[in-house]
Amino acid sequence: MDFEDEDGYTDAEEEELDSQGGSDVGGHLSEEDENKDCGHNHTALCEADIRNLQEQVITEVSSVLNITKYSATVLLSQYNWDLNKVKDDWFADEEKVRNKVGLMEKPVHNYPPGKKEINCRICFDDFLPRDMVSASCGHMFCKLCWKGYITTSINDGPGCLTMRCPEIKCVAAVGEDMVNTLISNEEIKRKYSRLLLCSYVEVKRNVKWCPAPDCDSAVEFVMGSEMFDVVCNCKYNFCWNCLEETHRPVECDTVVKWMLKNSAESENVTWILANSKPCPKCKRPIQKNAGCMHMTCTPPCKNEFCWLCLGSWASHGEKTGGFYACNRYEAAKQKGLYGEEEKRREMAKSMIEKYTHYYERWQANNKSRTKAVADLHQVETVQINILRDGQGESDAQLKFITEAWEQIIECRRVLKWTYASGFYLPEDEPEKRQFFEFLQGDAESGLERLHECAEKELVRFLDAKEPLEDFKEFKIKLSNLTSVTKKYFENLVRALENDLAQEGITSCKVQGRP
Amino acid sequence: MANSNLPRRIIKETQRLLSEPAPGISASPSEENMRYFNVMILGPSQSPYEGGVFKLELFLPEEYPMAAPKLGRICLDILKDKWSPALQIRTVLLSIQALLSAPNPDDPLSENIAKHWKANETEAVETAKEWTHLYASGE
Ligand SMILES: [Zn+2]
Ligand SMILES: [Zn+2]
Ligand SMILES: [Zn+2]
Ligand SMILES: [Zn+2]
Ligand SMILES: [Zn+2]
Ligand SMILES: [Zn+2]
Repeated sequence: MDFEDEDGYTDAEEEELDSQGGSDVGGHLSEEDENKDCGHNHTALCEADIRNLQEQVITEVSSVLNITKYSATVLLSQYNWDLNKVKDDWFADEEKVRNKVGLMEKPVHNYPPGKKEINCRICFDDFLPRDMVSASCGHMFCKLCWKGYITTSINDGPGCLTMRCPEIKCVAAVGEDMVNTLISNEEIKRKYSRLLLCSYVEVKRNVKWCPAPDCDSAVEFVMGSEMFDVVCNCKYNFCWNCLEETHRPVECDTVVKWMLKNSAESENVTWILANSKPCPKCKRPIQKNAGCMHMTCTPPCKNEFCWLCLGSWASHGEKTGGFYACNRYEAAKQKGLYGEEEKRREMAKSMIEKYTHYYERWQANNKSRTKAVADLHQVETVQINILRDGQGESDAQLKFITEAWEQIIECRRVLKWTYASGFYLPEDEPEKRQFFEFLQGDAESGLERLHECAEKELVRFLDAKEPLEDFKEFKIKLSNLTSVTKKYFENLVRALENDLAQEGITSCKVQGRP
Repeated sequence: MANSNLPRRIIKETQRLLSEPAPGISASPSEENMRYFNVMILGPSQSPYEGGVFKLELFLPEEYPMAAPKLGRICLDILKDKWSPALQIRTVLLSIQALLSAPNPDDPLSENIAKHWKANETEAVETAKEWTHLYASGE
C-alpha cells in the first residue's frame, strides 16, 4: 500500500500522471453516480406524488364506506390515516364512529320553520338563512364569521385538521369542503392542504420530508435497505436515518453526537466562523474568498500560508512534495508534575483546543463545499461556453472541468465528515489515529491541489482571445489530479468503513513519519 | 381610541352584561378602553371562598371573539384550546364562578393552591377561607 513508503505516495501519483491519458479520465465520485448506484433504496417524491398516494387512501375509504371524499378525509385524519382501523371501527359501529369524528347524518339542530332571519351566535347580527352556512350539525353562522373562524384555526396549525363547529360542545367536523367554499385566500387554503398532507406523511414510516429548507418534496425509503444515502428531487443529498446531510463513511451516531456538540459549543466558537485571519507574517487581516486553503497575502507581503494551520504553504504544497500534516491533531503533552487544579485547567484547555481543531476543519470544508457548488454552477452556465468558443473545444472535450468540480464537491463533503470522526477516534488506539491521519492527510493534500488547480489555473484560459497551446497540458493536469484525488478518497472511505482496521499490515512505517 | 371601531358583538355583549348581570358577577368596561373589563365575582355560598369578592381583569384581544379573552393567571380550558367564538364573556365568568364553588385540583386557579388542595383538603379549605378573609373581604 502507498502509505507504507514515504516516497511511495508521490511515486504512485507520478505513475498515475504517466499512465493516464488526458481525455478518457472519467473517474470521479460525483453525487449523480452515487445516486445511480444506490437508487434502489429510495424513490424521490414530489408533492404531487404524495398527494396521489394520499388520494388513493381517501378514494378507497370513500368507496368502501360509501361516503364523500371530504368525509373520508375527516375520518382518516382523525384515525391517523390508519385505513384498517377506520374500516374495522366503521363496520363495527358506524353510529359511534360518526359521533366521534363529527360526521352527522342529519342535523342535530333545526331552526323553527318559517323563521326569516337567524341570529349569528358569533357576531350577534341577524342574517337570512341563505347567507349562512352550517356543518353537518345544522348550527348556522354567517359566512364572515366562518371565514374568521376557519382562518384563525388554520393559522394556529395542525389542530385545524380536527376543526369542529363553533357551537359550544358541538363536535360536528369542519372539513376541506367547507374550507374550500368559505375561504378565498389561496395562501390559507394552501396551508390547510399542506397540513393535511403533512399529517399523512407523518404517520407513514417509509416517507420523510426532505430536510432542505424551502423544499416541499419527500423521499420514500425501501425499508430494510442497508444504505441510508438518499437524494431528493431538489438534489439535496441526505441520510434517511438521521436526516443530516449525507455523511458516508461516517456513522450516524458520530454525526448526531457531533452536531449536538456543535450546537452546545456554538457560543464558544463563533470566532472560528470568521472569514478573515491575520496573516502570520505581517498580521494584516486576510479575507478567505477562495475555496482552497492556500492563502496568499496581499503585496508587498505575499506570504503564502495555510488557512487552517497558519503554517507556511511550502510545507504542505506540491513544491516540496512534503508530507501534509495540517489535518493532524497534536494533543498537548502533559509532562511533569502538575497540581490537581493545574491538571484540571490543562485538561479543560486541551479539550477546547482539540474540539476547536476539528470544528474549524469541519466548518472550513463545509464552507469550501458550498463555494464549490456555486463555482460548479458558474462553470456549467458561463465558463464552459467561453471555453467552447475561445479554445475551440467541444462540450464533450470540456467535460473534465465539470468532473473535476463534482469531485471537489464530493471530496469536501467526505473530508468534512471525517473531521467529525477524527474528533471521536478513541484516545487509546494511537495506531488507528495515525493510520487515519495519514489517509486523511493524503486525501486532503490531493484535494487542495485539485481545488487550487480548478479554481486558479482555469482563469487564464477564460481571458484568452485565441486557443492556447498549454490548454492541453492543463487538461491533463486537472484530469490527473481528479483521478488521483478520487483514489485517495476511496482509500480513506474504505478505511473508515472498515473501522480503520489495517488488515495484513503488520509493520506500519507511518509511525516513523514526522 | 380603539373604542371607536369596536365590533358590534363587543358592544352588544357589554350592554347585556350591564343590563342583565349574572347573579354574583359584575363586569364593567374601563372608560379609556372598552376592551378592558374590571370583573368582580362573589365567593359562592357554601364554598371555601364564601364572603369574599374576587377581582379580576379581563381583556379582549384584537382577534376576539376568534381568540379567547385574556384573564391573567386563571387556568381554564375554555381560555385555551377549548375556546370557541360562540362562547362569551358571560360564559367565561360563569365558569370561573363554578370553579370557585368546586375547585378542581387538576385544573388549578393557581398552582400553589392546587398543591395544597391535593395534599390536604381540609387544611387547604381553611387556608382559602383565611385568604378570602385577608385579601378579598370587603374592598
Ligand atoms: Zn356572524
Ligand atoms: Zn354544530
Ligand atoms: Zn429536497
Ligand atoms: Zn445519518
Ligand atoms: Zn502578510
Ligand atoms: Zn495547514
